[in-house]
Amino acid sequence: MRAVIGGLALVMALAVLTPGCGRRERASQTIRQVGSTTVLPLAERWRREFNKVHPEVEIAVSGGGSGTGMKALIAGTAEIANSSRGIKAREVEEAEAAGVNPVEHVLAYDGIAVIVHPSNSLHEMSVDQLSEIFSGGVTNWGEVGAGGMGEIQVVSRDSASGTYEAFKDLVVTLGGTDKTRDYAAAALKQASNQAVLALVSKTEAAIGYVGMGYLDEGVRALKVAPMGGGEGVAATVEKAMSGEYPVSRALYCYTSGEPSGVLKEYLDWMKGAEGQRIVEELGFVPVE
Amino acid sequence: MRTGAQRAWEWLIERLIQVAGALAVVFVLLIFVFLVRDALPIFRETTVGELVGGKTWLPTADPPKFGLLPLILGSLYVTLGALVISIPLGVACATFISEVAPRWMRETLKPAVEMLATIPSVIFGFLGLLLVGPWLADRLGLPVGLFAALGSLMLAFMAMPMIVSVSEDAIRSVPRALRENSLALGATRWQTIRRVVLPAARSGIVAAVLLGLGRAIGETMTVLMVTGNAAVIPQGLEGFLRPVRTMTATIAAEMGETAYHTPHYHALFAIGLLLFIITFVTNTIADAVTRRGGRMGR
Repeated sequence: MRAVIGGLALVMALAVLTPGCGRRERASQTIRQVGSTTVLPLAERWRREFNKVHPEVEIAVSGGGSGTGMKALIAGTAEIANSSRGIKAREVEEAEAAGVNPVEHVLAYDGIAVIVHPSNSLHEMSVDQLSEIFSGGVTNWGEVGAGGMGEIQVVSRDSASGTYEAFKDLVVTLGGTDKTRDYAAAALKQASNQAVLALVSKTEAAIGYVGMGYLDEGVRALKVAPMGGGEGVAATVEKAMSGEYPVSRALYCYTSGEPSGVLKEYLDWMKGAEGQRIVEELGFVPVE
Repeated sequence: MRTGAQRAWEWLIERLIQVAGALAVVFVLLIFVFLVRDALPIFRETTVGELVGGKTWLPTADPPKFGLLPLILGSLYVTLGALVISIPLGVACATFISEVAPRWMRETLKPAVEMLATIPSVIFGFLGLLLVGPWLADRLGLPVGLFAALGSLMLAFMAMPMIVSVSEDAIRSVPRALRENSLALGATRWQTIRRVVLPAARSGIVAAVLLGLGRAIGETMTVLMVTGNAAVIPQGLEGFLRPVRTMTATIAAEMGETAYHTPHYHALFAIGLLLFIITFVTNTIADAVTRRGGRMGR
C-alpha cells in the first residue's frame, strides 16, 4: 500500500512540476489585449505570429466581450481593448472621467454573406425578412416569395462562433433594436464556415451565412437590402469596406491615447501586410 | 530456485501493476470531483428542475436559457434509435458467428466485425454527412440530410462491434451439454438456439447491449457531424427524421469559446456530469448483470 501511495505522490508531483518549466522568458513589456470574442481568434493569431518576430514582447490575449474590453481599458488593466462595435458615448464619458483618451483603430471588417442553394429563385432579401427567417417567425419559402420550395432550412453557426454573435447583432436582433429576438431553436447548427457551405450547397431549401472570405461557387450569396427598405447590396469586399453592405461591421482596437513604443509597433504590424494577411486568412475583410 | 534479483524484479512488477490499477480508480474519482466542482456553480443561476426540465437551450441569449430537455431527449432519440438497429443485427450476427458459421468463416467474421471498432468516429461522421445523409434524405423526401435517425444509423455501426463481440462470448460460453441435450430431445437447430442457447446467454447479451448503449450515448464526433444540432424537442416518431442536438455534441461545439467560470461554462459541465452519471449507471448495471449471470452459470 505504501508503494501505491508513493507511486501516486510521484505522478502527482510530476504533474504539478512539469508545466511552467522553461516557459518564463524575461519579457521587456507586457501588452494586455482584452475584449470582443469576435476579434479573439484574430488577436490570438496576431499574438502568435508577432511573437515569432518579437519574442521579447509578452502579449496576454483574453475575451469577455467588447464591453469588458472597454472597461479594462478605462480601468487601466488593458493596453488594447478589442471591440466589434464603435465606442459608446457613455464609455467616452467614463473614459474622460478616468483621464483616459480612447483612440480608435480599425483593423478589419467582418462581412457576412447570406447564402442559399444555387437553385433558389430569390436573389435579394431585406434585413427585416432575414431576421424573421432566422428567428423562426417565417418558416416557409412561400412567405418570402419563393413558393414551392417548402419549409425553410435555417443553417446557423454554433454559439461559440464570433460570426454567430455578429449575425445575431446585425440581422436577427435588427441591429440591436429588438433584443428579444434570437435564433430559432430549429436552426441547424454547424461547427465551421465550411460545414455551413457544404450543407447549404447540398440542401435546396437551406439558407445560411458565412464570412465573406469563405464564399464559393456551390452556393449563391443574396443581395441584402438594409433595414426599412432600399436597394439590395451585393456581398462584396468593396461594399463591406464602404459600409453599404448591411451585414458587415468594422472590428476595432482601442488604445489609451496615441500608442507609442512597442504598442505602436504591434498595432502597425497588425495594420501592415503580415497582420492583414491573417485577417484575410481567418475569413475577415482586410482594411486595405 | 529463484535468485534474489528475480524476486526483487517480480516484486517491482507486482507493485507497478498495483499502482496502475489504483490509478484507474483514482482517475475516475478525480474526474468525478472535477466535474462536480465545475458543474455546481450553475445552481446559483438556476434550479435542478429548471435545468433538466427547461425547454429552451439558448446559452448565449440575454438572459441566457439553460434548458437541457431538448438535449437530453436528443441524446435519448439518437441512442434508442441506435439500439433498435444494433441489437437485432448485433445479436443475430453473434449467434450466426457462434452457432451457425463454419470454423473458417467464424475466424474471418469475428475479427472483421471487431475491425469496425477501429474506424475513427470522424470517418463515420464523414460517411453520414457526405454519403448516407444526402442519399437517405433524397429517398425519404426529407428537406435536409441531417437528422436523428442518421445519427442512430451511424452509431449502430459503431456500437455493433461491442455488442457482437461481448454477446458472442456469452453465447459461446453456454455449456455444450445444454445444446446436445436439446438436440437429443429432437429439437431442431433453430429451436435449440432460440429456446435454449439464447436464454442461457441472456445475461451476457444484456450486458453487451448496455455496453453498446454506453458507447452510443457518449459518442460525440459522429453525432455532431450528422444530427444537425438544432436544439428542438423531438416530437413522436417523426422526431427521428428531424434534426436534434445531443448532450455530447453541445459540449463539443460550445466548450471551445466559452469564457471560464461563466454560467454557460458551468452549464456545460453540468451536462458532462449528467452524461458521466448516465454512463456510470449503465456500466454498473452491465457489470452487475454479467456477474449475476456468471454465478448462475456455475
